[in-house]
Amino acid sequence: MASVLAGRDLFKVTGGKVDFKGKNLLNLNPEERSREGIFLAFQYPVEIPGVSITNFMRAAVDEQRKHKGLDPMKASEFLRYMKEKKALVELDAKLEGRAVNEGFSGGEKKKNEVFQMAMLEPDLAILDETDSGLDIDALKVVANGVNKLKTKDNATIVITHYQRLLDYIVPDIIHVLYNGRIVKTGGRELALDLEKYGYDEIKKEADKQF
Amino acid sequence: MTQTNVKEKKFADLYFGQEKFLFPENIRANSVKLFLETDIPNNKTENWRKFNSKPIFDHNYKLGKKLNFDMSVFDTLSFFEPESNRIVLTNGYYDESASEKKTEDIFIGSLKNAEKKHKEIIKQHLKTKKNKNPDYFSVLNDAFVKDGAFIYVPDNVKLEHPIYIMHFIQSDNGNIFAQNRNLIIAGKNASFKVIHTFHSLSSDFSFNNTVTDIFLDDDAQTEYYLFEGEGNTAAHVSNVNISSKKGSSFKSNVITFCGSVVRNNFHAEFFGEHAEIDLKGVYMPDKEQQVNNFIDISHSEPNCKSNQLFKGLIDNKAVSVFTGKVFVARDAQKTDSAQSNQNLLLTDYARAHSRPQLEIYADDVACAHGSTTGQLDKEALFYMKTRGISEKKAKTMLMNAFLKDVTAHISEGSYRDYVNFLINNRLKGQHPESLCNVKVCPSC
Repeated sequence: MASVLAGRDLFKVTGGKVDFKGKNLLNLNPEERSREGIFLAFQYPVEIPGVSITNFMRAAVDEQRKHKGLDPMKASEFLRYMKEKKALVELDAKLEGRAVNEGFSGGEKKKNEVFQMAMLEPDLAILDETDSGLDIDALKVVANGVNKLKTKDNATIVITHYQRLLDYIVPDIIHVLYNGRIVKTGGRELALDLEKYGYDEIKKEADKQF
Repeated sequence: MTQTNVKEKKFADLYFGQEKFLFPENIRANSVKLFLETDIPNNKTENWRKFNSKPIFDHNYKLGKKLNFDMSVFDTLSFFEPESNRIVLTNGYYDESASEKKTEDIFIGSLKNAEKKHKEIIKQHLKTKKNKNPDYFSVLNDAFVKDGAFIYVPDNVKLEHPIYIMHFIQSDNGNIFAQNRNLIIAGKNASFKVIHTFHSLSSDFSFNNTVTDIFLDDDAQTEYYLFEGEGNTAAHVSNVNISSKKGSSFKSNVITFCGSVVRNNFHAEFFGEHAEIDLKGVYMPDKEQQVNNFIDISHSEPNCKSNQLFKGLIDNKAVSVFTGKVFVARDAQKTDSAQSNQNLLLTDYARAHSRPQLEIYADDVACAHGSTTGQLDKEALFYMKTRGISEKKAKTMLMNAFLKDVTAHISEGSYRDYVNFLINNRLKGQHPESLCNVKVCPSC
């Protein structure tokens, strides 16, 4: 689902539409979706040898600003902005000179995703299994970053299989997805129920219904 | 006489009735004989596989003349630093008024003129040296070359600024054939950089056949930057022969940007222990350009180190060939040799041939080699696009990153900036035919 929303061409959408701020996302290519305010935090962030995080973010922020009709940031302004966001998500300062994700640990890669999210300030962020492969300390840092970035004007979809992440990122709404459909929707207490009783009941009910 | 024979004689005929060759008659006679016996390399000549010499032989040439050089050309070559020593050659002839020597304790100038003054050292390095790799083009050079650049940096002399050897092809009318023979000698513990560039000031077709012999004495350190900037109506065959003695370090970086057919031959041999030879290169052929890098490193002594890193971006219908031969003799223990050739094909028609060849007779050595040919990483492109970066910008960033591990090693700042300027403009979509024009100038 996350890949479809971000526009990966591996998937073909056979029907329906995705309405986002009055536009059908399916008509836009990945870079346009990003500029409209969609952000995908990858489950497996890609390594880009030779491209430094600073240059990468500079290019991304400039394009986002151009889309909004703003001039590119001055170098000093950009560096200040980056420093501020790095502190917010507790990204190690030594990473900024390095190539994007190259040789990063699993935790560093995920922190870098949240850092990029902070830099780009999307309206809708999709965190695709961000908790996979994270130890508890990294998980806390990532969750903390996501919490800090929450405002009344943006939304975050967190895709996960585990309750663990939800101890740190407390959800407003939970949807249970099964066979490509939302089969149950509830508040934060739904996660606790699921942790206790498992998915079996919901699955049975859904199988009957559809 | 068969068709091939006509072609083979073609260049010799140009010199009919000429005189004042670089080498004396008794030595030349052998070379001329050898030349007439040597075949044009074709696809069956092992070291020249995939080399297509047709564009060279499709044209008729006349010999380039010595012309008055317009000094204002220097202003357009932004890497050029006026405080540096320089040797200027036009159509293969030394141009005394354009050349300039700034440092007292070195010898630079015309190789032909240097013969009298530096008889011993030239005899030692040039005359006694047999052509170990007698291919058609190097033998043609042996037989008929008239002049070239001479650099001798004596023992313990260390230069801060680079020495330039700049070749200009300029036609007054018609296609030009030019040859030059360059000799670079680094004395014991000498240290300097040479920036060796080739440019074309006219748009007629030209063929430049060049041989450069480089000798490094004990503990000498030389950086050698070769820049092929002749226009797209140029063919270029370059032979660089490197002899490295004990403890010396030779680093080279060849940028092939322009030219319809370019062949860079590097023959390197160690003559002492603990020496190092590092050969790097970038090539970016476009349209129907053909770039051919051939490397032959001979580890005949123990404890030496060699490294090769060649990267290519091949666009449109262009073709590249990389051949990297490493020979390690039985006694050359503790040899450390690495080789890497990486190509990015930008279209479905672009072709890259990569031929690593290792011949190892010693048993205690480290010889690594790797070759990759592919397209830009689609996952990386998608990742960049999901951050809002346009496809074009993302591709440019990835290609720049790809070439950076070669160009970042250029230690001469102004030259590195010039190379990066050309690469950036090329990646932005400008074609070599416009960028290879000498009048393209980053700073004016």
